[in-house]
Amino acid sequence: MFNRTRLRFRDMKTIKMLIAGADEQAHGSGEDKPGAEHYLLSAFNLSDGSARRVFERSGADPDKFRDAIEEQYRDALSSVGIDDDAIDADAELITSTKVLHNSKPSGQAVMKALYALKQEDKDRPLLGAHVVAVVAGMEYGVAVRALRAMGVDQACLANAVREELESFHS
Amino acid sequence: MSDIKSLPSADDPEQALAAVVALRVMAERLERKAVRKAIEQGWSWSQVAEALGVTKQAAHKRHAASIPKKKAVKKGDR
Repeated sequence: MFNRTRLRFRDMKTIKMLIAGADEQAHGSGEDKPGAEHYLLSAFNLSDGSARRVFERSGADPDKFRDAIEEQYRDALSSVGIDDDAIDADAELITSTKVLHNSKPSGQAVMKALYALKQEDKDRPLLGAHVVAVVAGMEYGVAVRALRAMGVDQACLANAVREELESFHS
Repeated sequence: MSDIKSLPSADDPEQALAAVVALRVMAERLERKAVRKAIEQGWSWSQVAEALGVTKQAAHKRHAASIPKKKAVKKGDR
């Protein structure tokens, strides 16, 4: 009972850090609301380190994910004949004065899926690896395309999440 | 420029939808940059709003936080 309460407090702290980090990542990319890709970037910065380890287990460098996001945008623009390099539209840091947090639909989907995942996994604290698990299970969107741009296999990533969570449990 | 009617292929909706998302992000970045430059050059929020085809309140709400205050209020109308 006491352990569950302790875990719940820890999870609340993690969620706060995750959301604040996602906002920061989105603003750094010149976007006012975070999407799934920004939640993943935020998960890499969580102190448990599990999101980074999952990527490393899959043979991927988490520090390359941000570049992969830009790469998939470049590829998508190129598919409609736009050369991104020829346009002066680099991301600029934006400042937000919003008091209430809001995410893009893909970011909201991450939070909903995290909640559902945690309902099934009550004995472990919320970890960055859980965020990777959610993104690894997505089918479309910027985060998924960025993973593909990095050559990361989502099934392989999901396996690495399982290994990471099992090792955390033991 | 390539023929936008044929790129990307209509048979590949995922690619077409990804292009739409990328275009939105690019448009947002261009808008932020253009508004910042306009305010720096002394445009009022009313002028920016008119040029963007939105209300002054909408333009201000969307961009004011990202623009250094001394530049925004110098010749602005807020």
